[in-house]
Amino acid sequence: MDNTGHGDAAVTGTPAQAQAPGPVWRFLVQPRWLGWHVFMVVSFWGMLWMGDWQFHRALTGNALSWAYTFEWPLFAGFAVVFWAKTIRDEFRIRRGQMPDPRAVAAEAALLPAGVTGTLQVPAGQVSAVQSGSPDGDEDEELSAYNAYLARLNADAQDHGRR
Amino acid sequence: MEAAVLRYRVMAYVTGVVLMVLCFVGIPLQVAGHPAVANDVGVVHGILYIIYLVFAWLLARRLKLAVRPTVIMLLAGTVPIMTFIVERWVSRRFISPALAGEARPAAPVGR
Repeated sequence: MDNTGHGDAAVTGTPAQAQAPGPVWRFLVQPRWLGWHVFMVVSFWGMLWMGDWQFHRALTGNALSWAYTFEWPLFAGFAVVFWAKTIRDEFRIRRGQMPDPRAVAAEAALLPAGVTGTLQVPAGQVSAVQSGSPDGDEDEELSAYNAYLARLNADAQDHGRR
Repeated sequence: MEAAVLRYRVMAYVTGVVLMVLCFVGIPLQVAGHPAVANDVGVVHGILYIIYLVFAWLLARRLKLAVRPTVIMLLAGTVPIMTFIVERWVSRRFISPALAGEARPAAPVGR
């Protein structure tokens, strides 16, 4: 792993990331992640152990156990793939190659409340729009656009419920 | 996205119903000395749960869920009734906002 993530973590700046200076991989040894590692290791070996147990049952003539003999190792393999992808995604988020899903989700969760459309515009652009339009013309346009966004969101919400 | 949500919902309900049959019909019958139902339904649930895992995980990745909600979603298929509760929770908390977010045209303006 390289050390380039140090700057990225500072720039992308959610508080949790800002508190942890150092190379990107350091997040892997945070208590929360250590807990998940332990959970994954225990469940991986647990699932292999279950598969082994079913294999021995199958050998003693329990035909049903053959299905589980193959199923448990499959689950264990799935757990490994799941964990690898999760950690790879976290690296990408922290290096700024992928948007932080928590930020995106929080932003999306605000939308149904109504006219929160302006939140989606990056801070720089908001100030540009505001400073660029001292008179009321553009604000009216903006609020009309926000109302349009709110309407689209309401429609989308209805589809989501069905 | 809608297709992924539909696949997840169908599997959540099918797996949930089969698991309830297994737990509330199959297991009592097995205890009463008739293991056939529990054996057959057990194998069916095992196969359905694999499909549920795949679809739930694909949706979780589409929704870009954090680790905890993803794990809850995946394990829900092993606990009776849980699939229904978790499906409702995931729909309200993640799917609806994501579908709303997908429909909004504001993102290109921001970029």
